[in-house]
Amino acid sequence: MDPLAGMDDSTTDDDNASQTTEDDPQVPDNHPPAPQPPQPAPQPVPQALPPATSGMRNRPNYELRHTLRGHTQSISAVKFSPDGTLLASCAADSLVKIWSPFTGELIRNLSGHTKGLSDIAWSTDGVYLASASDDTSVRIWNVDSGLTTKHLKGHSSFVFCVNYNTASNLLVSGGCDGDVRIWNVARGKCMKTLHAHLDYVTAVHFNRDATLIVSCALDGLIRIWNTTSGQCLKTLAEGHDAVCQHVQFSPNSKYILSTAHDSAIRLWDYHTSRCLKTYMGHRNEKFCIAACFSVTGGKWIVSGSEDQKVYIWDLQSREVVQILEGHEGVVVAVATHPQQNMIASGSIEPDLTVRIWSDRGSTC
Amino acid sequence: MNASLLNPFTVTHPTAVQTSLVSGASFARFDPTGKFVAAGRSDGSAAIWDLDTRAVIRWCEGHVKAVTSIDWSRNSRYVLTSSKDWNVIIWDLASPVDPPQRYNTIRFDAPVVSAYFHPRNSRIVLALLSTGEAYVVDSRKEHRARVELCEALSEDDDDERARSIMTTARFDPSGRHVFVGTSTGNVLVFNSRMKIMVARHRITGAGSMKSLEFAKVGRRFATNSSDRTIRQFILPTYPSPIVGAECAGLETELEPTHRFNDPISKVSWHAMSYSPDGEWLAGGAADPATHKIYIWDISNDGQFATALDGGREPLIDIHWHPQASRLASTTNQGSVLIWHCPSPERWGAFAGGFEEADENVIYEEGESEFDIENEVELAMRKKLQEDEAIDILGGVDDLVDHKMNGVAGDPGDEDLEWADDEPDDDWQGWRLKVIMVDDDDAY
Repeated sequence: MDPLAGMDDSTTDDDNASQTTEDDPQVPDNHPPAPQPPQPAPQPVPQALPPATSGMRNRPNYELRHTLRGHTQSISAVKFSPDGTLLASCAADSLVKIWSPFTGELIRNLSGHTKGLSDIAWSTDGVYLASASDDTSVRIWNVDSGLTTKHLKGHSSFVFCVNYNTASNLLVSGGCDGDVRIWNVARGKCMKTLHAHLDYVTAVHFNRDATLIVSCALDGLIRIWNTTSGQCLKTLAEGHDAVCQHVQFSPNSKYILSTAHDSAIRLWDYHTSRCLKTYMGHRNEKFCIAACFSVTGGKWIVSGSEDQKVYIWDLQSREVVQILEGHEGVVVAVATHPQQNMIASGSIEPDLTVRIWSDRGSTC
Repeated sequence: MNASLLNPFTVTHPTAVQTSLVSGASFARFDPTGKFVAAGRSDGSAAIWDLDTRAVIRWCEGHVKAVTSIDWSRNSRYVLTSSKDWNVIIWDLASPVDPPQRYNTIRFDAPVVSAYFHPRNSRIVLALLSTGEAYVVDSRKEHRARVELCEALSEDDDDERARSIMTTARFDPSGRHVFVGTSTGNVLVFNSRMKIMVARHRITGAGSMKSLEFAKVGRRFATNSSDRTIRQFILPTYPSPIVGAECAGLETELEPTHRFNDPISKVSWHAMSYSPDGEWLAGGAADPATHKIYIWDISNDGQFATALDGGREPLIDIHWHPQASRLASTTNQGSVLIWHCPSPERWGAFAGGFEEADENVIYEEGESEFDIENEVELAMRKKLQEDEAIDILGGVDDLVDHKMNGVAGDPGDEDLEWADDEPDDDWQGWRLKVIMVDDDDAY
């Protein structure tokens, strides 16, 4: 997206903030992209808290560990590598930065894109990283060498979101032209284009066995696709005030989690099209803010907010259980560590930091 | 996990060609996960296709003569190729290189007609040579052996019958027994642990046996023989043989439950394959001019269901997908056709909350359907509904039976314990590494 994403309220931004499901030709420059967390490993860490099923609920106790500075323009996504040893962040300054989440050190810059970045995704083995850019291409990087392995060209407009399947032989990307493309990773060739939406595709995600793709767009619709045939299987429509900007499958792929501009995060049963849970309390009316599952300790939902904080909800009770304060800008990107109780969050201008929070003591 | 979204009807048989993999293949085999297809070629190589990307992801190049059979280990890590060059090669797909590393090479002194992994342990291989001999090769440290399966002959046999040629050999799905078809129309059953013959079944009128096929569920197997008939049998149970007992096993005649043939053109059959649930049997017709797959409905008393037409290139092999309603059929030009069951596009799916009705329905309003309800009450009800506990982690079916590896299901079952001894490292969670292909590297 535009590097100055969401900076000036004087232009078309307010129109977008109240965007309806109608096709909107304006360029919503104010939507920093939405990151998805890596598929969390299903096994909990040894010190994991017992599942909060009893009356007494455990609360998380996250504290700020590191503040990573280096990006010069708005951060759009943060992602932990699947083994948890690295953290990648991308920003409108067209760089991907690889950090150590434990020490907060910058390890490497991946540079090559000519315009700002909107999203990144790790391959399951952690060797490769895919990045989606406003230069209308996706690059696959070898993270160790820092070189581009594949340069995927085909989108006719900004690429807004990208994700791998579990086998990491497929990549799915969504662009501002409303198309979803499925790529053969080994060859770097586009296999299929789904004319999925009429507006910016803001998130795409594979389910566990890669038979389904979920996508959402600023036209307010969440659609589920058959990966092999490219057929649309289902459309979930939220209310008119609830333009959806981020969507992903739950770790077991039975539900989908979506965030929307009515300041609500919803968990859906996509078989019955029923909204099972609604998480509220934060503010999200304008930006593309991501949410993710935290499964390493208690079961939480984590999301950024426009009031410069990170919110943590209890998955079952839907209560806000902790609010992380410290950022000085809108928090658009969050990610949870696959094995440990650790959260990374990224913020746009003027803050420009990635912050790492961790929960060390298992307080009850 | 998404069956209810993808497939509104129960699994049925495939009906249309989905894609054609130009592979120069003489036959193709799905792997047990159903994600890959291995195609054996007459130039001695085998290509592993990824069905997601429909591209070759590995070339197994090691034989100098035609590949005659391919088998996958149960979690798809190892691939076995047998060849007319007298070798069986076992490839390890977990090696992140192309061609994959050889895990083992087993050398025989005649061309190998077919070779199979033991269903529970890929260290045990059954090989059939073109000379009509079958061997069980065990490469485990404690059991290292190469044993020929010898037909036990009773004393009153004539000299002429002294030795029949073995024409096909398979493990049964449990791995307890080896079934061998002979040129004289017999099916011999051996205990795979002790390599002792436990039964000899005479199949009247069958002539030389061409192939054997087992249904994965249900105790059924089918034979294809030179009399152009596919016969289906109920799998008998066999007692464990007693060591040292002078016993040639049961000598019985098996009566088929069904006979399948083409009554009009009387074609013979190149291959047959059961559907994963055993409800359908597909036969590949050895017609020199057409590509015909006959499908019989086993659950409906073996009734002929349909004949699929795959075009002009004659068929030489078929194989059914291990889980889904898909088939791979190979043409004599080397293309592998993947058949599937197309589902019609549902345009109603593009509109949220929209249901397509087949016919006009007169809508009957429910008693209180449009009543205005108290909003507080509605919010309360929604809140109560949302209190339902949700499991976002569990119920995942693709990571369940980790324990299946190594530990026998049935303690005390000597045959299974024997097979599970020294398990291979074909564990379930392994992943095939994606190898990046250079842009100018054309396959």
